[in-house]
Amino acid sequence: MAEPGLRIADLHCSVAGNEILKGIDLVVEPAQVHALMGPNGSGKSTLALSLTGHPHYAVTGGTATLDGEDLLALAPDKRARAGLFLSFQYPAAIPGVKVANFLHAARQAERPGDLPPAKFRALLLEKMELLGMDPSFMGRYLNDGFSGGEKKRLEMLQLAMLAPKYAVLDETDSGLDIDALKAVGESIAALRASDEGRDTGFLIITHYPRILQHVKPDVVHVMIDGRIVKTGGEDLAHRIEREGYDTIREEIGAIA
Amino acid sequence: MPSAAVPAAGLHRRLEGLDLLLLGAKERTDSFERFSLASSGRQKPSRFWRVDIDAIVPEPERIALDGVTVRVDGADGRAIVCDLATAARDRMDLLGRAFGLTTAATSKFGALARAFSGIGCFVYVPADYDCKRPIAVTYAVAPNLAVFPYTVVLLERGARATVIERYEGGAGAFVCAATEAITEENSDLTCAAYQRLDAGSRFLFARAGRPGRDAKITWASADFGSDLTVGDLSVTIAEPGIEAGITSLFFPTGSQHVDIVSTVDHTVGESASHTRVKSAATDRGQARYLGNIRIAHDAQGTDSSLRDDALLLSKHAHIDSVPALEIAANDVKAYHGATVGALDEEQIFYLESRGIARTAAERMIALGFFDPAIARFPTEALREVLRQALQAKLS
Repeated sequence: MAEPGLRIADLHCSVAGNEILKGIDLVVEPAQVHALMGPNGSGKSTLALSLTGHPHYAVTGGTATLDGEDLLALAPDKRARAGLFLSFQYPAAIPGVKVANFLHAARQAERPGDLPPAKFRALLLEKMELLGMDPSFMGRYLNDGFSGGEKKRLEMLQLAMLAPKYAVLDETDSGLDIDALKAVGESIAALRASDEGRDTGFLIITHYPRILQHVKPDVVHVMIDGRIVKTGGEDLAHRIEREGYDTIREEIGAIA
Repeated sequence: MPSAAVPAAGLHRRLEGLDLLLLGAKERTDSFERFSLASSGRQKPSRFWRVDIDAIVPEPERIALDGVTVRVDGADGRAIVCDLATAARDRMDLLGRAFGLTTAATSKFGALARAFSGIGCFVYVPADYDCKRPIAVTYAVAPNLAVFPYTVVLLERGARATVIERYEGGAGAFVCAATEAITEENSDLTCAAYQRLDAGSRFLFARAGRPGRDAKITWASADFGSDLTVGDLSVTIAEPGIEAGITSLFFPTGSQHVDIVSTVDHTVGESASHTRVKSAATDRGQARYLGNIRIAHDAQGTDSSLRDDALLLSKHAHIDSVPALEIAANDVKAYHGATVGALDEEQIFYLESRGIARTAAERMIALGFFDPAIARFPTEALREVLRQALQAKLS
């Protein structure tokens, strides 16, 4: 196998003709946790959606590979089957499609035939309990009438059920109360402790370091205006918590 | 209508020799006249709609009343389920309390079905009897003939029943069907119909109910077969405390046409009616839906809703949707909403991002679109049949 890792090099991306990403370089190795922080509008969600292949996000330059496979050449469903997962900031509601049926279809698509229905159901119930979700969730329509917190829990449930090679979490922590955040943290920790999820690499997009108390990052990146302007360790997240982004802006302004 | 004059004359002669025990010669002639003169209530043909509904007539030489066979299943205990001729011979006292007494008998195609009535089914549920097993009535139509299946349902006070009609077979046939339901005080009737007639057929139907005080009545209609489906679903609310539901599902594919009119007439208040229509069209499929809600001046306290959603799955498909509310009372709830649209790209992308291929994602979303309406049909077995039929249409 070619070089493992989610490897992004000089990635440029435009939305409706405006360049949002201006050359992103980022490598998430298996089992690593990267945090991507940055102010609103800096391009974090654009990175997440361009990696997963959203049709409105046009990649205009650069490369992105997943364990050597050219992600950008693949349709969105094939990127997922290659092992990429995005926890959406705003997941779509699909009335009429039940959570259990959807999860089963997704698991079948990504790991064909690996679980008989009874085992699938047992696994689903186990993961739901970990996330503090009532079993009645299975019969509800996908994200239809869900609260913000319920939507995020459902994204985490999918992460747990699909155990991807690389997971991009786009502001999964925003809008969660303390208990929900704790449940999300425990669910991620459980995935990382499992055989399936031991090597899952994470790219956690967030405004706040609080989720990072539950999932310790190996690397922290700061994105401003479509570029990664600073990379460091966990302390960088704490600095942002104390000082905001202004001092980093001044720093890069001084360099430029 | 000069084009209809010649076949009409030939048609009239075909009324001779029919079962006079069921319906007398004069009543048959009157019904036929009504069919000839009545309008179907459809709009004029449009750019998208080249079928002149009012000009539809069967070819006289194809009329064969025995071109349809009736299978019934599920009659239990004190309920009576029998063919129409038997009911006319043995239980006219009961049949006469319902046959010809709803607006189905006076609508254009209902009148035609009545004029030629002979083959059909009578369902009777006596007072306070709960018919737990669904009553299944299957009309199997022979190819290329013109047939007139007629279903009559009578529920006495406090009775409960579920009736499921199926229309099948009939390649190239002309099927003109009527279903009438008279339901008395406090009764509860669910009447579903699943139509999957073969290609080349035309299906015209009128279904109407007149519930009694505090009764519950539900029509659920799924029209998936036939080249041309023209149907009227209606409930007349002339007593208080009624809860009426109408659900209609249709999905023209290939070059199918569907034209459905639903009508709820509130002449008395303090009743509720809820109409739900879900439709999709693909290929060159065409559909038209007209939803009438009429609330008379004295029908205060009426609670009615009409919700109609249409999904267009190809650029040559077309669905026209017209809600028509006439409200003369001033203290009522009347909601209506209609949507027509294509599949949502964000929904498709969401499923794709979970490894589900685009075509499978589209199918899942389209099937999901119908799910809330399928939930309004009786029995899990029928709901599963409908899901399978939709799957087949979507693939």
